[in-house]
Amino acid sequence: MPEKAKPQVVKYGDVTQRVGVEVIRARGVDVEKLIKMLIANAAAEFASTYYYYTILRMHLAGHEDYKEICEDARLEDRAHWELIVPRIYELGGELPNDLPAFHDQAGCKAAKLPDPPTAVNILTLLLESERCAIRSWIEICDLTFGKDPRTYDMASRILNEEIEHEAWFIELLAHERDGKSIPSGHFRRGEPGHAPYSKNASFYNP
Amino acid sequence: MVVLGFTARHDYLRIMNSSPEVFNVTLLLPDRECSILVGRDEHIWDAAMAAGIPLPALCHQGYCLTCAGRLEGGGEVDQSDSLVYFPEDREAGFVLLCTGKPRSTLRIRTHQQAQMRQHRKHKGLLAPYSWSTVQTP
Repeated sequence: MPEKAKPQVVKYGDVTQRVGVEVIRARGVDVEKLIKMLIANAAAEFASTYYYYTILRMHLAGHEDYKEICEDARLEDRAHWELIVPRIYELGGELPNDLPAFHDQAGCKAAKLPDPPTAVNILTLLLESERCAIRSWIEICDLTFGKDPRTYDMASRILNEEIEHEAWFIELLAHERDGKSIPSGHFRRGEPGHAPYSKNASFYNP
Repeated sequence: MVVLGFTARHDYLRIMNSSPEVFNVTLLLPDRECSILVGRDEHIWDAAMAAGIPLPALCHQGYCLTCAGRLEGGGEVDQSDSLVYFPEDREAGFVLLCTGKPRSTLRIRTHQQAQMRQHRKHKGLLAPYSWSTVQTP
């Protein structure tokens, strides 16, 4: 005898609701809050970091090693942005159709070129930007753990890279500012923008 | 600790040894009220955490509004460590606990992030984490 069908949350053929959303809501995820947080994090990855890191790396002239590492962080933040956006739409959200409005949703301050743009000032800014990103992504992990495996997996992969970025900038800043060796424990990426966690089996991530 | 036959408050030494600029801050939490001592150079959020009172926070930069509180009965908070804090926030009594330092005795209602975002939006000011076209069912 076939098992009695469970009550459907989403009606047969209904395209206005998503089972993929309702099942995580049923498990306790505040989907609307999650969408807001993902938009804020997408804005931080794209507007607060990717865009401004583009400028920061230009001003690390004479420090080619720092420049390369800044470039790795920049491209990986772009990979994060590419990873987050599909998930926002899957959940039923959408990006603001206005770039300044999008920029203003970021939960981390824009990494604008410091004055004066010394290597120490730039590395300090990079370090604090990565720290804000870690705090933001672990919040998404906490919100989704055990309830929304797809978002959790994505957030966890991004968090992995943000934690590595923090370690890089601690190492470089300690060396540049304090003359100290505080190893990150890492070596260079395979190629710029390698993004070993966030480009591994991505949703759509050119 | 026993002093002159009576048990001293656990924070007695801290009070006696600290500079005179330690302020009593009463936190009005959603489910209870408690008071802590916060030094002039200490962020209120940090002092609360040290006292075993975890409050919301995210960026720890005085930017994202997650740690927002609201003053009850006035008082002064130094927000110079906050990355973004507007005069309008001060006028409305909103404070950012992660980067706010006391300058007087305070009573603060915590967990005011939604209210502070609403205030910022109403004033046309920067309000992270508030954009969504999705309506709550």
